Amino acid sequence: MSTNDGYYEALWPRSPRQSKIKPLAKRLDTLNGKTIAQVWDQVFRGDEVFEFLEEGIKARYPDVKFVSWKEFGNTHGSDERAVVAALPEKFKERKVDAVISGMGC
Amino acid sequence: MLRASAAGEGAGVPSATLVGEGFMTLAAAASKGLGMPNLPVARVVGHPGVQSSEQLRRNVLDVTLQHVIDNLLKPPKSATTDSEPAARDIVVKGGFDEINDYFYRHELSDGLPIVPPTIAKVEEFLRYTDRDPEESLGSLLPDSRAATIWSIAVNGVMAGCRPEYVPVLVALIEAMADHSYGVEHSGNTPGGETLIVLNGPIIKQLGFNYTQGVMRDGFIANTSVGRFWRLYLRNVAGFLPHKNDKATFGNTWRVVVAENEDVVKKIGWTSSSADFGFYPDDSTVMISRHTGGNHISSVSGATAQDMMPYVCDAMVRQYSWQLMFSTGQGLDTLRPQILMSPLIAETIAASGWSKRDFQKQLWQHARVPAHQWERIQRDWTQKPLWDLKAAAAAGDIPKVYHESDDPNRLVPLVWRPEDYLVCVTGDLSRNSIYIFAHNGVLGFPTCKKINAPRDWDAKLASIKRLN
Repeated sequence: MSTNDGYYEALWPRSPRQSKIKPLAKRLDTLNGKTIAQVWDQVFRGDEVFEFLEEGIKARYPDVKFVSWKEFGNTHGSDERAVVAALPEKFKERKVDAVISGMGC
Repeated sequence: MLRASAAGEGAGVPSATLVGEGFMTLAAAASKGLGMPNLPVARVVGHPGVQSSEQLRRNVLDVTLQHVIDNLLKPPKSATTDSEPAARDIVVKGGFDEINDYFYRHELSDGLPIVPPTIAKVEEFLRYTDRDPEESLGSLLPDSRAATIWSIAVNGVMAGCRPEYVPVLVALIEAMADHSYGVEHSGNTPGGETLIVLNGPIIKQLGFNYTQGVMRDGFIANTSVGRFWRLYLRNVAGFLPHKNDKATFGNTWRVVVAENEDVVKKIGWTSSSADFGFYPDDSTVMISRHTGGNHISSVSGATAQDMMPYVCDAMVRQYSWQLMFSTGQGLDTLRPQILMSPLIAETIAASGWSKRDFQKQLWQHARVPAHQWERIQRDWTQKPLWDLKAAAAAGDIPKVYHESDDPNRLVPLVWRPEDYLVCVTGDLSRNSIYIFAHNGVLGFPTCKKINAPRDWDAKLASIKRLN
């Protein structure tokens, strides 16, 4: 048993989080009649996944509309920060009600 | 993609984020840093990269689809936050072993023993900066924690740095907090690690190794500052393996590389920091992130012309999927870093070449057949998206990528000669180079001046220690 390893009072090495809890958006009551934006980081076959999701969602909510990922730019490219910052305005312009964002893999 | 979802949520647009099942823990950790710990995610089964179209379709329709619908329609769980100690709180008291056991169990260390960060030690460090301990250099993603001078001192103590290294540590965190670097990507799957290049008078003032074995541990300044970088990424930015750090394999942190400015001056080349616009008397840190690298041994020849075929061939062989950082995903962000041993630099300079001449030759001759380039990008993305002809015609990339329709035409790795970064360092008696595989926009080269505190010379002179 060590008896010669001193005595220390050690500080916490992290620092305060700057992000405070933010509320999420109100959820929708249905997807019928709603417009869903697809935003993509252009990797891991997100374009195919969006096609399959469109097929599945339309089968259940025939009046849903989609705005393609091609409208929003690459959310993981060299201009990622600008692309993400521009999303709220683009959603507003396109009257977007919900967003699906991929791909985290 | 979580950041895009958070942008939507903040604008009143409900979101669903598509996340691979192996990345759910990362998504949960990253959501906390965004201030939305209850951000809903939709599970993507397995990894799309190894599924047939039919398998992918079935997985999306059977599993992901319902998650997406639930994400958009069902009220999310209420958000809660964990209470945390304050910046100056003592979190553990006891002997060296007890302190280290606590830090390891609470994921506050890298697995090696740390120097206990006590108030007395931290205050000793703070003597070497004129900045307010509470000053924040920025908010670091993914944890969104403040990069305070105080936390720099605490982690510097832990890493085994000496107090007088603080000006270097502060400049490093200024670079980390600079958006151009992209620290938020430091937990990505390629697991790249940062290379720190040091320039200026501070190299000799603080005793950094800049000769033989420059990337080897064993020199307290190079080693402890390199370790500090990784501890800070862990403790303040928030990159913890199995959480926000999703490196498939990963790399261990690198010791600091200092340039041999004596040789640079002797041959009349520009230093690494001068290439970023700094003055010769400035001390600087430059950071960039690399997924790996290779020692290119025995670059031989009596002239620059003799050496270039071997060097250009070696350069081309270090780059595969990273070509996407030139003409694909990370457009024009590829910056290959070369360490050049003094013998090589002296031989090239003796041929009458400046560093710029060397860069031009490299750009001109380190080239890949266009058809091979396009195939690599298509293989990597599994998409037929990459067409150099179309991209050049659209003005998205330089015309040098499509000077003819010949599929065997040779195209450069980077857009311009100066995109190759060169640092002269290493063994004075050996003729080798080292080439890093750069991670592009996910660790873009960022250089910062090191600002010494008032009375720097007097402070250094007062240090009574054997180096």
